Amino acid sequence: MERETISVTVNGRAYERAVEPRRLLSDFLREDLRLTGTHVGCEHGVCGSCTVMMDGVTARSCLTFAVMADGAEIETIEGLGSVEAMHPVQQAFWEKHGLQCGFCTPGMLMTAVELLKANPDPSVDDIRDAISGNLCRCTGYQTIVESIQYAAKLMREDGP
Amino acid sequence: MYVGQAIRRREDERFLRGRGRFVEDITLDQPIAHAAFVRSPHAHAAVTHVDTAQAAAMPGVLAVLTGADWTAAGHGEAEGVWPVKDMSGADSRTAYRPLICVDGVVRCVGEIVAMVVAEDRHQALDAAEAIEVAYEEKPANTITAGALDPDIPLVHPAFGTNEVMVTEHGLKEETEAALANAHHVTEVVVPTNRVTAASMEPRAYLGHYDRVNDRYTVWTTNQAPHIVRRYFTKSLHIPEHKLRVIAPDVGGGFGMKLYHYPEEGLVLWGAIVCDRPVRWVGTRSECLLGDTHARDHHTVGRMGFDENGKILGVKFETLAAFGAYESQWQASITNAYHFTMLSLAYDIPAIHTQVRAVYTNATPVDAYRGAGRPEAVYQVERMIENGAQEMGIDPLELRARNLIPPEKFPYQTALGITYDSGDPPVLMGKIKALADYDALRAEQARLRAEGQWMGIGISAFFDMAGAGPVKMMNDLGAKVGCYDVASVRVHPDGRITVFAGSHSHGQGHETTWSQIAADRLGCDIDHIDLVEGDTDRVPMGIGTWGSRSLSTAGMAVYTAADRVVAKAKRMAAHMMECAPEDLDLADGEFTVKGTDRKLSFAAVANASYHSGDRPSDLEIGLEETSFFDPADCTYPSAIHLCVVLVDPETCAVTLRNYWAVDDVGTVINPMVLHGQVHGGLVQGIGQALMEECAYDAESGQYLSGTFMDYAIPHAEDVPSFGLDAHFTRALGNPLGAKGAGESGTIGAPACICNGVIDALWHLGVRQITQPMTPKKIWRAIEDAKRTQH
Repeated sequence: MERETISVTVNGRAYERAVEPRRLLSDFLREDLRLTGTHVGCEHGVCGSCTVMMDGVTARSCLTFAVMADGAEIETIEGLGSVEAMHPVQQAFWEKHGLQCGFCTPGMLMTAVELLKANPDPSVDDIRDAISGNLCRCTGYQTIVESIQYAAKLMREDGP
Repeated sequence: MYVGQAIRRREDERFLRGRGRFVEDITLDQPIAHAAFVRSPHAHAAVTHVDTAQAAAMPGVLAVLTGADWTAAGHGEAEGVWPVKDMSGADSRTAYRPLICVDGVVRCVGEIVAMVVAEDRHQALDAAEAIEVAYEEKPANTITAGALDPDIPLVHPAFGTNEVMVTEHGLKEETEAALANAHHVTEVVVPTNRVTAASMEPRAYLGHYDRVNDRYTVWTTNQAPHIVRRYFTKSLHIPEHKLRVIAPDVGGGFGMKLYHYPEEGLVLWGAIVCDRPVRWVGTRSECLLGDTHARDHHTVGRMGFDENGKILGVKFETLAAFGAYESQWQASITNAYHFTMLSLAYDIPAIHTQVRAVYTNATPVDAYRGAGRPEAVYQVERMIENGAQEMGIDPLELRARNLIPPEKFPYQTALGITYDSGDPPVLMGKIKALADYDALRAEQARLRAEGQWMGIGISAFFDMAGAGPVKMMNDLGAKVGCYDVASVRVHPDGRITVFAGSHSHGQGHETTWSQIAADRLGCDIDHIDLVEGDTDRVPMGIGTWGSRSLSTAGMAVYTAADRVVAKAKRMAAHMMECAPEDLDLADGEFTVKGTDRKLSFAAVANASYHSGDRPSDLEIGLEETSFFDPADCTYPSAIHLCVVLVDPETCAVTLRNYWAVDDVGTVINPMVLHGQVHGGLVQGIGQALMEECAYDAESGQYLSGTFMDYAIPHAEDVPSFGLDAHFTRALGNPLGAKGAGESGTIGAPACICNGVIDALWHLGVRQITQPMTPKKIWRAIEDAKRTQH
């Protein structure tokens, strides 16, 4: 199959790669760039495990072709926080036991980051609504809700 | 003390940073080829022709393999880990799930007919589509309820019946007499819906064969890698010492990832044939179809009460679905975990149960979180609820009158199982207070007067967790020894690596096993690392399932650590010129009792490996292994209570409140415990309200093949939970710990269903099958109206 060349910025680093038009963004990230933190749980856009940030908004990388990301800025779980310090959302999930097996976690974190950007002080209902596109089979969601509330608190205290 | 503390998890950072390492993430020196499978589109058909020529010639294709090739290679099948055992003495009719169709007949949708191995996944999928298979369709049955009726198509005609086996347990005559003499008898037909675990990580396997060194390696999404290794001796006839099985980070298991699945064996076969590592990662549709399904019992029950609501006896007749084949651990449900637990938390003098296992043209059924106990609780609790309603006794009060009183422990049930410890009345008192039960009943009456439908559901039960002991589980049918193993290796610098035969796929063993070890070894928890999930590194293991790991593997860690301390004390005593009994170990230091003389654990560790000055009868080194066989199972107990609101306009159920009070014995980490309870509850809620592996009755087609069709709960579908606890120590292990992994899934379906029935009882509704969708609730209300007119 003929390939097209795309330019994308992922976690602040520019890449130029030739990809088949049918290549999914999730496969591109995982296989071509070896960023395996983004997980594919259903490949039909329901579970949200593959959620990444594309030009500042969340996107399902399993429903996005890599060619659609040409020229875009992508942020994945590997770009969240720094080597020295985790992002407050990561820190909060750690403190409040917001994960068990860790498979849905990257997508859940990206969704939480997007929510807290838009709403720095979300209610329990706001959080449940915001993460309703991300399935978790381990936690029962309660500790995820508590983690996101705690992250909001940390971020409000830290300031922008 | 670390035990008892809510320490944040030591494994979390890699997951939070996207550095988890799942099977799909593994890279190797050689490029990895990919497998794709051709699966039966029919529920029952003869495979008359398979044409692979076109596929074999396609770009990138390395091999196309069929059942004929499997047979020609002399390969075998995945035998039962817990095979059927017919209590009546008749021969059981075993047909194990084949790895690939070898006998020219497919017996359920999704059965594998051919495999393609190609350079990349897309090439493999393209080639799989080019394989032409001719089928001759046969009549099929996917429904459990009528599987033994005359004229129902036979799944395995050679057996002459769809019945796999019959088991009977309990007190038959006493139960019949109790029912005959009862003041009131309640009868309920209770089908338990067919569901599946749907772990977020799809199943995935990577096989590798090192021809030069004659060594095989399999990376697998599995909960018990040593058991996988054992069953490769049956499927591909690979000796155990030649095969390394690695279960790296695994994204949820829930029992479903316990088996030697067809794709696991086939991937390694492909690797051998192609001389290349081969990987398969399941699509969600393949997983919803090919992962083992669960539950699917059809039960008729009768329960007799005296005039005060005391249960006199209960009788069950159950048809238990096996699906098209016997899956490896299937009979652990029918022969061990279901019948044993039918007394729940109640003092019932007479119980009799008959289970007839049946074949249907559906995906094989096997263990899923709870395995037999959710069915048992649902079957018993539905009868208690209807009995209470029929007799006009408050449902909580009727249950309270029947709870096993604390003075009766250890309590032997009418089924012969002995619960070691527990105090159900205390749990009941706590949940009544937690939920403010009397206020809820007042609210219910008020709302009902306003035309609103509120219901209160209750379930109370015991769980059998912590399998073994080895002998008891062997007697119940296990062909693997139900012990577990740990090695504690002290390095010369005093730091420690623990190797355990359990496998954590969300449970947090890197934290909890380290809490146990650090307390026993008197050391800093950060001085301990844990290794699990690798048969070349861990001496042996039976794996994580059935809420068993803490009281088996956790106890092996405890025991091995104690042995290390005993040996280290001998060395330290030699170095400090005192007796070993005079030494205390805490905070990384040995102290001579009553003095300020100290010696660091690290100095003793170093001397244990590198000093010639030691007791003459003390072996060099500081490493101990324990194969721990517990004295008993553990019997955790719990009571659940929920409030449901049924919308009179839409018949949709809102689960407004959910409380649970658990007795899990000694708690290692309360944060991890709560996580286990929460997660199980939501899976149980899914079973009650939305989840179902559905088949079209006419064609046998599978209808639940995507997450749009198989509904698992979202965050908006569930409430936050109110939890409380009361702990009685387990008597079968020195930690006093009971299992904690399954309480939620065991109690929630019955609790929620009872709540919905309570909400609709006044409308004449007596039973609704799960999942209780708005359509089914509407239908039940309409049926009740018609019956009353």
